[in-house]
This record gives sequence, C-alpha cells and structure tokens, in this order.
Amino acid sequence: MLPQPNPSAPTPPEPVAFAGCGVVTALGAGTEPLQRALDANTGGLTARPQLACRGYQSVVAGFVPEAFFDSARAAHPAHADARAFLLAAEAIQQAERHAGAWLGTVPPERRGLVLATTKADIEALENLLAGRPCSPAARRHVQPARLAADLAAGARVRGPVQCVSVACVSGLLAIQQGARLIQRGQADLVYVAGVDLVSHFVLAGFSTLKSLEPDGCRPFDRARAGLTLGEGAGAVVLARPGLCGGAGVFLSGWGSSNDANHLTGPSRDGSGLALAITRALAAAAAAPESIDYIHVHGTGTPYNDAMESLAIRAVFGRRVPPFSSTKGILGHTLGAAGVIETIVCLLAFQARRLPGTPRLRERDPSVPDALLAAPQPAPALRRVLKINCGFAGTNAALLLEHP
Amino acid sequence: MNHAPAILAASFLGPEGQGNHRTGLRPWPAPLDAALAQGDLGQFHWSTLFASDPARFARMDLMSRFGLAAVELLGAGLETWPAERRDRAGVCVETGAGSLAADVSFLHTPRASLFTYTLPSTVLGEICIHYRLRGPMLCLMTGAASTPGSVQEAVQWLERGEAGACLCLRCEVADAPTTAKLPEFPRADWHAAALLLGRPDAGQWSRPLEIDSIVPLCRSVLGSAGRATHGEHRHPDRWL
Repeated sequence: MLPQPNPSAPTPPEPVAFAGCGVVTALGAGTEPLQRALDANTGGLTARPQLACRGYQSVVAGFVPEAFFDSARAAHPAHADARAFLLAAEAIQQAERHAGAWLGTVPPERRGLVLATTKADIEALENLLAGRPCSPAARRHVQPARLAADLAAGARVRGPVQCVSVACVSGLLAIQQGARLIQRGQADLVYVAGVDLVSHFVLAGFSTLKSLEPDGCRPFDRARAGLTLGEGAGAVVLARPGLCGGAGVFLSGWGSSNDANHLTGPSRDGSGLALAITRALAAAAAAPESIDYIHVHGTGTPYNDAMESLAIRAVFGRRVPPFSSTKGILGHTLGAAGVIETIVCLLAFQARRLPGTPRLRERDPSVPDALLAAPQPAPALRRVLKINCGFAGTNAALLLEHP
Repeated sequence: MNHAPAILAASFLGPEGQGNHRTGLRPWPAPLDAALAQGDLGQFHWSTLFASDPARFARMDLMSRFGLAAVELLGAGLETWPAERRDRAGVCVETGAGSLAADVSFLHTPRASLFTYTLPSTVLGEICIHYRLRGPMLCLMTGAASTPGSVQEAVQWLERGEAGACLCLRCEVADAPTTAKLPEFPRADWHAAALLLGRPDAGQWSRPLEIDSIVPLCRSVLGSAGRATHGEHRHPDRWL
C-alpha cells in the first residue's frame, strides 16, 4: 500500500519510489560489502602514509580501493584518469541492474538524471594547473555539468539533466530534485547520483581549517576532534510507483533550510536544522513520534555533532528515536554523502537492522542517549529520517517510508 | 487574493554596466569601468552599490561579492522583511563557472579563508547570512543540456507552497587571471543577474514585471523563459 498524501498540505505530493541503488565506497563496489561492514560496525577507513610528506592534518580517509579503478579503467579506457566518472558510472550501472528489467521499458525522453557533487573531477584541475597530463574526458569533468551530461549519455537519458552543488547537502537536495522532476511530470524515472573524491584539494582544504581528526573520526564521542574524508559514489533510481511495482521504500517528504548564521560553522542552537526536519515532517504529514530511526550527518567535529544533538532534541523532545552516524565506516563523502547515506537507510529497511555508530568509544554526555553504538534489529521499521548539513549554513532532510 | 507567482524585481551587473528594473542599465563610473571591462574584477568596491560595508565583503571571493551585489541592486528591502517572511524566502543559484576562480587561487595559495569559497553554493550562504533568509535553497551547475533552471524551480517552489518568495541568481565570475591559466575553457563575460519571484500583493509588489522589459537585463538567468515573444506578457507558468 502506498503512503497516503496529506490533503491539507499546500500541494499534496505523490510519493516517489526508490526502485534501485548502487554504490562504490571505501569498501569496494556494491551494497554487499557495505552491508557486511554495517553489520560488523567497522571497516573502511585506512591510512596512506605515503601522503604524510604533503603536510595534511590527516592521512586517514575512506579511500576507494585501487583494485576498483583497475577494473573500471578496463571498461572505460577513454576515462582512465577520470576517477569521478568511473565511480559514478559504476554506481549508476549497479542501480540500473538492481532496479530490474522494467527500467528498459522507459523511453530515454522520459528518463532524467540529477548529479550531486561538490568538486566533480577536481584532480583534473590540479593536473592542468601543474602541467601534468590530463585526458580530454577528465578535463571536461572539471565542469560539473559536463560530468552530469556524460553520465546521462551513458545511461541513455534524454530527459531533464541537472547538477546540484550545495556543499554536503548536495546529495539530499539532488534526491529532492529527482523526486520533483517526477512529480511535475517531467520524467518517469530519474537517476540520482552523488560523487566526490579524496583529492589533494580537499585534503589540503580541510587541513587549512584544521577540522580533520588525525586518527579517524569518532562521531558523537566525548573525545571527538574532527572529521575524516571519504570518497565514493552512490546512485538511486527514483520512479513512479506504478512503474516499478508499487512496493518498497518511498520518499514521502523533504525539507531544507539555511542557518543564516556562519559560512563554515553550524548555528549554535541547531534551529536551522530543526527547521529543515520540521519541514520534511510536515510535507509527509508525519508526527515526530512516528519516526523510527534517524541517520544523522554526524561528522565527528565538536560543533556539528553538538548542533545536531540540539536540533533533534528541539524536534523530538524527550522522545528522540534511535539515531546513528556511519561516517566512521565510510568517511565524509561530501557531495556524495546524501546519496550514499540514503542507500545505508535503504539497506536498513532491507535488513531490518539499524546501523550503529562505528568508532564510538564513549558517548558525549550532551548527546541524547538514543544514540546507537552498535547495530540494532528493527523488525517493524517504517519511517526513517535522513539529515545532512553543510557549509554555508545548509541543512536538508528526507523522510523515507516503507508502508 | 491568490495571484500566481511572478517576477517582482530584476537586476544585473556586467562589463557593460549595472542596473535594475527601475533604472535600466547604467554604465560603471570611471575608472572602474575600464578595470571591469578588462576582467580586473578585484577593483569592485562595496561602496559602488552598498550604502554600508557588508560584513566580510573584502574577504569574500568574487562570486560572493557580485552575487550579493546583484541581490542588493534589486532594491527589494529584504533586510526589512518580517522574520516569518524571511524564513520562507528561498534562494536558487545557477552558475556554469561556479567557484573556478577561487579554486585556482586556492590551489596556488592554500588558505583557510579562501577554502570556504571553493564551493559554488557559498554565494548562497553569504546571501542568506546577509539578509537572514532561511527558506529552501539550491545551486545548479549549468552547462551542457542542464534543465530546468532556477526560474522554473522557483516557480515550482512558490506554487507548491515550499517558499513564499524566491531569489533567482545567475552568477558567472571568472576573472582575467583565471581564464589566462585555463585557455581551453570557454571565456564568457563575467556577470551576475538576479530576480525576485513572489506573488503580487496590495503593497510594494503589486505590479509584476513584464518579461520583455527585463530580458535585455537578465537573459542569462531567464534561460528558456527569455525567449519571449515581442510585446507579449509572459506569465511564469507559461514559460515551462
């Protein structure tokens, strides 16, 4: 049975179905290694000591294994150095296979694609400016919209194509956009992909901000000291429920907001994120007490985790549902985080098990005690809230529902 | 009264000058005009368009400076809006070059203050901080076959009740040093164009703008909507 739209909302939305997903992360390609890591509550972050000479604050990150790129280059020789393309194309292909044969019945003109990324192929820009070799494909992908266009061409998309870049909420906003395109009638299915790389650019950048945890992040830990970067790609297929069988997980609401406070630091009171959450709940006509689980942003920085704690207390009061962060497995995948972490939520529905918070040793006392340190069974999982926050005071929330 | 969404204000800054829907295009004062025409965008000072120094203006990257200036040039009085209205004011940015100029500068000289601006959405944050806007937001990277654009998104936000008003901003700022370092990138004139979309009311915003009057100013942000038939008033929902 489909979730019912709220007739008293300004414009009752038609729920959109998640019809397929694919992912490439520090654990490799596919959702199976990701699920194993979620079950084990560990894995993914590694150190690359060879980077120590570059002066970064940390050489620990969620690096995608080189073995993936070795096989991906064989399949896409013209894109051998275009790592962002290789990651996103693989994730999209996985999502297509996962969606099933019905997808082939949707004509290209009725397919759309929305890409989420903060820096696209920033490595190509590094190479160009340093006078190092750079393929024409990688050079094109310095411009994020061209990366989106090439991915769309590979997926036989001739409908609307968008590229969203709003810091670390890019992924959730891209999913919102994909759903909007379907609800407006501009597409029947939309691939939503998110991709970002651990590059010299971002390692240097976050090092200048001194926001990296040298030994790996510990979200919501009493001793947390910073975030850990990650790279990867995630892709979901959004579709009209009537196309893909009408069963499964749906996107029933969303919301976004701006803190209007500071460019890099979250608001001290969490009110901006609380506003985004409230908007998502209102769009789905969902009461706070109906939420079964929250997958939070949980970067491991002192300020972000404190702000999120305030925000969820503000919305949920004394009845904070179980929540966790999985950045201790994957790192912070920046523009891809929203899509990859939404896939983590989809896996939670599938496995009927909530992920824990890897690398947590001792919960910060100011954090609600509903924080899950370890995975927890969830046989009746129905509504999941996914939230992310980003630079420039951005906040976004999605409500996922399995009727 | 429940009017359909419409364009209520428009503004533009570019090499040829600056202006809004009331003033039309006005040339830059000398000697700023020569500097801007040659892509020496660092010569732009806040006093050219702002009554007082916006916080951190000198530390902002070029995209944020010109994006903020385009919004200020609308003359919408955003800073006087009641809090409830600003809570529901959205911002939708579209850009092709994005933060390219800041990216190149950062790779040359990594600094924390510059890293903040190596995201195309930072201009959105500066606008929201300056005017205390807390509504929905989006930044679209445009280029090959990117549709729909910011105006179409804003109209949908308004019609669905996700926002009460919306700023649409097109910002392309790649200065001469940046384009010199990347000769294979297409060179486009720098510019910023802004629109305020909302529902006409009984007060200041009672008269929506006729699209033909603002196409010369704001063609880049109007996108496909800019292909207006001469003399025909276009309603936003008929552009889609």
